Amino acid sequence: MLSRVAESLWWMSRNLERAETLARILDVNYTRTMDRYGSEHALPHWNAVLGIVGMQTQLELIAPSEVASTALHYCTFSSENRTSIVSCVRIARQNALYVRGELSSEVWEAINGLYLSVESSSPRSIARDGPSSFLRHVRDIAQAVGGIIDATISHDEVWDFLQMGRFFERAYLTNRMLRGIDPSASSIESQTLLQMCCASEPFAKVPHAMSETDRVVAFLLLDPAFPRSVRFALREVDASLHRISQTAGGTYSNEAERMLGRLLAILDFAQIGEITNEGLGPFTGRAGDRLDAFSIAVERIYFPRIPVAS
Amino acid sequence: MQALLEGYVSQELFDEFADERGEPRPHYRALARTVGAISTSDFRHRVEMVNSVLLQRGVTFTVYSDARGTERILPFDLLPRIIPVADWTQIARGIAQRVRALNAFLHDVYHEQRILLEGKVPYDLVYSSAFFNREMLDVRVAGDVYIHVSGIDLIRDVSGRYLVLEDNLRTPSGISYVLENRDVLKRSFPQLFAEYMPLPVDDYPIRLREALRRVAPATTDDPTIAILTPGIYNSAYFEHTLLARRMGVELVEGQDLIVHDNVVYMRTTRGLSRVDVIYRRVDDDYLDPLFFRPDSALGAAGLFNAYRAGNVTIANAVGTGVADDKAVYPYVPAMIRFYLSEEPILDNVPTYDLGDLRQRRHVIEHLHELVVKRATASGGYGMLMGPASTAAERAAFADAIEANPREFIAQPVIQLSSHPTIVEGEILPRRVDLRPFVLYGDEIECPPAALTRVALENGSLVVNSSQGGGSKDTWILGE
Repeated sequence: MLSRVAESLWWMSRNLERAETLARILDVNYTRTMDRYGSEHALPHWNAVLGIVGMQTQLELIAPSEVASTALHYCTFSSENRTSIVSCVRIARQNALYVRGELSSEVWEAINGLYLSVESSSPRSIARDGPSSFLRHVRDIAQAVGGIIDATISHDEVWDFLQMGRFFERAYLTNRMLRGIDPSASSIESQTLLQMCCASEPFAKVPHAMSETDRVVAFLLLDPAFPRSVRFALREVDASLHRISQTAGGTYSNEAERMLGRLLAILDFAQIGEITNEGLGPFTGRAGDRLDAFSIAVERIYFPRIPVAS
Repeated sequence: MQALLEGYVSQELFDEFADERGEPRPHYRALARTVGAISTSDFRHRVEMVNSVLLQRGVTFTVYSDARGTERILPFDLLPRIIPVADWTQIARGIAQRVRALNAFLHDVYHEQRILLEGKVPYDLVYSSAFFNREMLDVRVAGDVYIHVSGIDLIRDVSGRYLVLEDNLRTPSGISYVLENRDVLKRSFPQLFAEYMPLPVDDYPIRLREALRRVAPATTDDPTIAILTPGIYNSAYFEHTLLARRMGVELVEGQDLIVHDNVVYMRTTRGLSRVDVIYRRVDDDYLDPLFFRPDSALGAAGLFNAYRAGNVTIANAVGTGVADDKAVYPYVPAMIRFYLSEEPILDNVPTYDLGDLRQRRHVIEHLHELVVKRATASGGYGMLMGPASTAAERAAFADAIEANPREFIAQPVIQLSSHPTIVEGEILPRRVDLRPFVLYGDEIECPPAALTRVALENGSLVVNSSQGGGSKDTWILGE
C-alpha cells in the first residue's frame, strides 16, 4: 500500500474515533452538569473534559453562567480548535477524500454524509435546544462507519491501518479519561467515567469482589474482553501491526512492535493493587508517554516524511 | 392537469425527441408514455432525491473560477437521451475511424512526417503548436498507440446530421458521470426503463484496464497499473477515484512516485514497488520537472526518461495534444484520406483558417454570427459566442485575432440539437451534445458509454460543466 494512503487511513480512523468519543464525553458531561451536584462543579467538570481531549482554553476567565456553553461550543463547532468535533470530522473526511480509491463507496458515503450534516448543523439551534441530538447523531454515524468498514472493506492491509488508528485512539482516550477523572473521588465520578467509556452496562456484570474504585480502574484499564479498555484496544492494535509486518505475535520486527509489546506485557500482568499503590495518575501518565512514543514510531516506520525535491 | 411532455414544443432546430410534427420519434414513444403517466409533483420529488444522492456520494466537480474551490454536483437531468442502434453504429464507426487516423498522424509527426512532407498538413502549423512536443521525436511508444483514451465531441445540425465538434485526445473526463448517472437513474426512476434495454456501461472501467494491460512494457506479464492524479483539488478528482476503485488499480499522486535507474516505483508500506503503466490525468507540462515545468510537483523527476527507455507506458502518450489543437482540427478529414484511404464517416464543422488573410477578414467582419475559440483552450474557457457577445467583446477578439491568428479558430454557430429537459419543474427543449469515449489498447473499441451534456439556460449553446452545463443518462439501444 502507498505510504501516503496508509497515513491518511490512520488519521481518518483516529479522527472518527475521536469525534465519536468526544461526542459521548460531551453528552455525559453536559447532562451531569445540569443537576444540583454537577452544576456546582461545572468549572472543574468542564476543565476535566478539556483536559481529556488535550484542549487548552481559559475557562476560569469566563462568567460562571457561560462556562458550559463556551466549553461546549469550543469542543463542538470551533474551527480554531483542531480537536473539536467539527475539526475531527473535517480532517476525517479530508483524509477519506485522499484515499477514496481505497475505501468502499459505502464507507465514503457515510463519512461524507456525516461531514455534510455536521457542516449544515446550526450552532444557534444547538445552543437553544441543547446538544444531545447533535452529539448523538455524530456518535451514531461515527459508530456506523466502524461497522461499515468492517463489513465492506476486505480485511487486509487497508483495514489493518484503519483498525490500528481506531483502536490506538480509543486506548489513548480511555487512558486520558482515567488520568482526568479520578474514580476514587466519589461514586458519581466513577459512574461518569464509566458512562463516558460506554461501560456502565458491561461493568455491572463484573463480580463485586474488589472495592468499587479498584473495579472501575481494573475494568477500564485491564479488562481483556471490554472493547474500550486500554488493554483490549492495544491488543487489537498489536494484532493489526503484526499482520501488516507479517511477523508472529509475541515477537517484533520493528521499534513500534517492540514498544507496544512492552506496554502490553505490563497491562497483561499488572495487578490492580500495584497500580493503586503506585497511584493511578503516575501509572496512566507513564502509559500515555509510551503511547505517544509508539505513535511516533508508527509514523516513522510506515509513513516517513517524503523528502521534498529541491 | 396537463401530462408531462404533452405540451412539449421544440424550437426551430433538430429535436432529439419530437419530429417536425411535434410527435415523439419512434425510439422515444415508450418513454413519452411512461413519463406521461407521472404526476408533476412526483417528478419534482425524484429530481430532489437524485440531487441529494449525488451530493452524498460526492459526485462533484470543482469550479476553478471560484477561489474556494467549491464542490458542486453536475446537474443531472432525469430524462434520458436515447440513441437508436442505427445512429450508434454510424457514430461508432465514425469515431473509430477518426481515432485511427489521429493516432497515425501522431506516429507520423513524431517520426517520418510524411503528411508534412507531402504538404497535406502545413509544417508550420504542427511546429507552432503549443502541444507539439519535440522531446517525443523518434520516441517509440508501446504498440505505436498514442491515444489510449479519447472523447470525441459530437453535435447535430438542423438536419439531424452528426458532426464532430472537437477531438479530446489528452485527458478527457466525464466517464464517471456516465457510470453514476446510469446507476442513479436505475435506482431513482426504475419505471423509465420499462420497454428499454439500454446497453450496459458498467464494464467500461474493466475494458479500460484491459486496454492498458495490452500496452504495458514487454518486461512483464502482469503489469502494475496506476492512475496518476493531480490530487483532491483537481476538478475531476472524483472521477480518478471512481476509476481506480472500479479498475482495481492504485491511485497515485506525484509525491508517491520515485524514479530510479529509469524505472518508476511507488512508495508503499512495504518499500518501493514497480509501476508499469501510468494512466495519467495530469497534463504533459506537469509530468516531469526535469523536462517540462521545473516547478511542477504533480509528476515525478525522471519519469520522462523512464518512458523513453520503454520501462513504463504513459497513457495517453506524451505529445498527443498536437492532434487535438483546434487549429489542426480542420485537417482531420485530410488525415483520414491520407492514412486510411477512406472518406470521413463523420463530417467536421466548417472552420475558417485565420492564417488566410481573406478568411480572416471575413471572420472579423462577421464576428457577431460566428463562434471563436482559442486553439489551445478547452472546457469552454476563452471563447466568443458571436450572437451573444457585446461590441466590446467582439472588438477585443478582433484585436487578439489580428495579433495572433494562429491562436484562434472560427466556426459558424451550429444550432445543436435540443432535447426535453427538466427546468424548474417544466419540461423544455435544451441544447445537447454527445461525448462518446474511445479506447485503444491493441484494437480500437467504442464501449456504448457516452456522455450527453446539456446547456441548462434557454438558447445557450455552451454545454461545458465548468460553464453551468448539466448531464443526462445516455441510452444506446442494442439490436
